[in-house]
Amino acid sequence: MKTLSCLALAVVFSVPLARAQPSFKGPMPDATVIVDASLRRAAYLSRIDEALIWRAAMAKPGEPKTFGLGEIVAKLARREDAAACSERLIELMKVPTGDMFWMFPVTAIYYLGRDQLTPEAKAAVREAWRAYMPLRGDTENHWAMYYSSLYLMAQQWPDEPGERWFNGKSSQENFEESRDYLLHWMELTTTTGQGEYDCTHYIGEYAIPLLHLATWARDPAMRQRGRMMLDYIFADYAVETLDGMYVGAHARTDDTTLLEKWNGFSSFFGWLLLGNCPPTVSYGGWGIYFVAAAKHYELPEVIYRIGTDRAGTYAHYERKRTRHRWRNSDVRNAPVYKTTYITKDYAVGSDQGGLLQPIQQHSWDVTWAVPDPRGVHNTIFSNQPHFSTHELMMYFSENPDFMPVTVTSQGKPTYISESKLLGGSPYEQIFQRDDTVISLCHVPAGANFEQVNGFFSKDLARIEEDASGWIFAQGGNAYIAYRPLAPYEWKPLEVGGKRLRSPHGKNGTIVQAAAVAEFKSWDDFKAAIRALPLEIRLEPTPRVAFTTLRGKKLVCTYGAAPIVDGTTFDYSGWKLFAGPYLNAEVGSGKLTITHGALERVLDFKTITITDRVKP
Amino acid sequence: MNIRHSLLLSALGCALPLLAAPAVSAAPEYEFLIAANINRNYVIGSKIVTTNGIFRRDVAGAWQHVGYNDTGISAFAFDPRDRDVIYTTTTNGLWRSLDGGKLWRICNDSEMTEGLDVAVDPNAPDHVYLALPDGIAFSSDRAQHLERREHGLPTRGKFTRALAIDRTRAGRVLAGCEIGIYLTEDAGKNWRQVLPTKETVADVQQSPHDPRFWFAVTQSAGAWRSADGGLTWVHVPAAPGDRPLYNVTFDVTHPNRLAIGSWGRGVWTSEDGGQTWTDRNAGLPAGARVWRVGVDPAGRLFASVVQETLFQSADFGRTWRPDALAGSAVKKFLLLPKAAK
Repeated sequence: MKTLSCLALAVVFSVPLARAQPSFKGPMPDATVIVDASLRRAAYLSRIDEALIWRAAMAKPGEPKTFGLGEIVAKLARREDAAACSERLIELMKVPTGDMFWMFPVTAIYYLGRDQLTPEAKAAVREAWRAYMPLRGDTENHWAMYYSSLYLMAQQWPDEPGERWFNGKSSQENFEESRDYLLHWMELTTTTGQGEYDCTHYIGEYAIPLLHLATWARDPAMRQRGRMMLDYIFADYAVETLDGMYVGAHARTDDTTLLEKWNGFSSFFGWLLLGNCPPTVSYGGWGIYFVAAAKHYELPEVIYRIGTDRAGTYAHYERKRTRHRWRNSDVRNAPVYKTTYITKDYAVGSDQGGLLQPIQQHSWDVTWAVPDPRGVHNTIFSNQPHFSTHELMMYFSENPDFMPVTVTSQGKPTYISESKLLGGSPYEQIFQRDDTVISLCHVPAGANFEQVNGFFSKDLARIEEDASGWIFAQGGNAYIAYRPLAPYEWKPLEVGGKRLRSPHGKNGTIVQAAAVAEFKSWDDFKAAIRALPLEIRLEPTPRVAFTTLRGKKLVCTYGAAPIVDGTTFDYSGWKLFAGPYLNAEVGSGKLTITHGALERVLDFKTITITDRVKP
Repeated sequence: MNIRHSLLLSALGCALPLLAAPAVSAAPEYEFLIAANINRNYVIGSKIVTTNGIFRRDVAGAWQHVGYNDTGISAFAFDPRDRDVIYTTTTNGLWRSLDGGKLWRICNDSEMTEGLDVAVDPNAPDHVYLALPDGIAFSSDRAQHLERREHGLPTRGKFTRALAIDRTRAGRVLAGCEIGIYLTEDAGKNWRQVLPTKETVADVQQSPHDPRFWFAVTQSAGAWRSADGGLTWVHVPAAPGDRPLYNVTFDVTHPNRLAIGSWGRGVWTSEDGGQTWTDRNAGLPAGARVWRVGVDPAGRLFASVVQETLFQSADFGRTWRPDALAGSAVKKFLLLPKAAK
C-alpha cells in the first residue's frame, strides 16, 4: 500500500535543484513540428545533454550531500569524473535505502560505469546487492523497477550462488524469475490492458526500467521487447496529450497535477520526446535515469506526429484494467473503459466511474490549452469525494483501519478530506460521448461523503451562473457548460479558484465543452446550450436525458447502461485501443500505430516491429 | 521441555500466556519473540532507515533484533525441530533461513506476493502453509517449493489473513479468509467452509489446554468459539463486536484466560473461557487502537498500540506500563521453546 510518489521526490529535490534549469525556467519551447528526422534527433539529443549537464553540475566539490546517485549517473553518462564517482559510490553503497527506487539507479550506474568505475566501486555495488534487502513492493510500477533491475544485474553477475544475492537465489534463478515476470507483465498489458494506466507520475517508473532493458539486456528479444514496450507506453501517452499535458482519466495522479495539468512527471517526457512543453522541476527528478540512457532510444516518427498534431479533432478509446483486487470484488482485475476527445483547444476524458484504483484515481476532466501551462490550473471537473476501509481492503492486503490516516502522510494528504478533489467513488457512474460528460452519483446515507465537489479554476476566464441552472465558463479557447444536478454552494480554495460543493447524495454533473471558434459570441454559446433538450430526475435514482451539442441523444440512469440515440450502450466490444491513431484488439498483443501515411505495428507475439508508409 | 509441548507451542504460533506469579517457573523454558515494524512514516522507496523484523526478548527484558531488517514483516514461524529454521512472511512473500537468520532466501516467485501468515505443521514439520492475499500456498519441503492449494476455497473471498494448524493431527488446518473460516483435513488439498462471515476473519487460535477449543476473531462479526475442533462455531456475544478484532490469544497456564486486541475497542480479556469479557484499556493511550496482544512466558500481557510504545501488564490488563519499541506495530507474538535445537 505504501508507496513513494514521484512527486514527493520531485519536491524533495526541487528546492536546491530548481536553480538554473534552462528549459524549466526558460521560455516555452518552440512547438513547431520538426519534420526533418536528423533535426528532430539533434533537438532530442540536445535536451538530453541539457538535463545531464545540469544534474552533473549539481555535485559540489567538498559537499558529499550534493553528490548522490543522480549526479553520479549524470557524470558517468557524460563520461566525466569517473574517479570521483567511484569514490562517492563506495560511500553511498554503505547505506543503501529506497528499495526498488534504489535498484534501478544503481543498475544504471553500474552499466554506464562498467568501463569507468574502479574495481573497488564495482565491488561495493556487488556487495550492496548481497547485503541490502530491498522490498519488491506491491504495485506494478514497483515490480517493473524491481524485476528489470534484478534481470540486468543477474545478467551482469551470472553463475553466482544464492549466498551472493540479497534474496538467497542464484543468478540463474533471479534471471529467470525476473524474465518470467517481465514477459508476463508485457503480455498482460498488451492483451488485457495496463493496470496502472496513464499515470501522470508513474509513467516514468515504467519508462525508465523499459529503457534500461532496451539498452542493456543482452538477449536481443528482451531488448526488442523493451523498445516495443517503450513505444507502447509513449504512444499511449502521446495520443492523450494536449501540448504534452497528460489529459483525461488517470489511474493515478496527485493533488498538484490534478489541477496544474502540466506539473507531472509525464510532462518531462513531453519535453524530452515531443518538445512541446517545459520539463517539470529537476527534469522530473527521476528523469535523470531516463536521460542517462536516452540516446539509445528514438521515439518513432509516427508517435511524435500523434503527440504533436492537433490539427484535427478525434475521439480515442482505451481499455485498461484495475489494479489487483484482493477483497470486496468478484474479479481480480475489472475492466476500465476510457474515452478521450481531443481538439487543439481542449480535451475531454473520462473512465466509467466506480472504484477503479485506490486513492489517486482521477475519473474525468476537461483540460484546455494554454500558451504557458506553468502555474496554470487549466482544468475543470467534479468528483464524488469518497474514502473508506472498503476501498482500501479491496486493493491492499493490510489491516484497513489504520490506512486512511497513514496514507495522508504518504503523499496523499487529502484522502480523508471532505474537500478532496482526487480519488474515485463507488457511487459515481460516468458516461462520455464526444465532448459531453454525464456523471451520476447515488451516495447512500452515511457514506463518506454525501456530496459532489466541482473544481472551478482561478484561471477560468469567466464564470457565469445562469438562471437555467447551467454554469457557463471559459478556459482559454474552450467554452464549458457545467450543470450541477443538485443545489450547491461555493467554497474558496487555498490554491485559488473555488470549489462547488453540492451536499446531496443523489447528484451529478453534466459538462459540455466546445471551442470558442464554433460560436459567434459568448452569448451564442450560452443560448445554444440552453436550447439543448435536457431532463433531469433525481428520484428514485439519478437520471439524465440530454441531447448534446453534437446531436447525440443520451439517456443515463444510475445503475443502468447508458442509452445513445435509442440504443443501449454495450461495453463488451470495447477494444484495447480504438481511434484514428491507435488500434488494438483485446487479446491480440498487437498495436497498430497510425498517423497519416505512417504506420508502425508492434506485434508482441512475434516480437516484431513493422514500419510502413501507406500509399 | 518435552517434545509434545514444544510442538504445541509452535503450532499455536502466538503467545501462550500465563498469569504473573504462578507460572514463573515455566518462564525459562521459552523465548519470547515478536515480529514488529518500527517504521512510522515509512513509505516503500523512502530513505528512512529503521530496524524492523523479528525481535527476541532477552533476560533483561530488552528487545534484540534477529535476522534481517524487513519493513514489511507480517508474521513468522519456526521449525519445531530446529529453531534455526525460521520463516517470515513479508511484502516480498515468504522468506526462510536455515541457519538461525544469517542467510535468507525468498521462497516464492513473482506469482505470490505479500505473505500474510505462515504456519508449520508440528506433526509434519516439513509442511509449511503460506497465507496470501489471493489464497493459500503449501510446501512439503520446508518451503523450497511452493504450490497453490486452494481447492474448495471460494472464487471470491480467498484473501487469507490467518492460518492455524491443529496440533492433534497432521494436515488439519484452519484458515481465516475474507468470507469465513475454512478447514482442511488433508494438508490443503481440499478446503471447506466451517464458518461464513461477511468480512475477513482476522485470527484463529487453538487452546493450548484443550485442543477441541478454538477461538476466532473477525473484521466485523465479533468473536466466535468452537468446542469441537473448529467444525462448528458459536458467536460470542459478550465480546466486543462493533469494531474490528485483530487477534486473540490464550494463556498457556490459565485455561480460562484469553485476550483480544481490537481496533477501536483496544484490549479486552476474559478469565472464564470467553464467556464474559472485560474492557482492559485503562492505562493505555486513548483511542484503543490495538494492533495485537500477546502474553510472554512469565504471564505478562502485552499490547501493541499502533505506532505507540509497546505496553505490558503484569496483572492481565488491570494495570499497564510502557515497555519499549516506540513507534512500533507488532504483527505477531510467539513463544519459542528454548529446548528446541
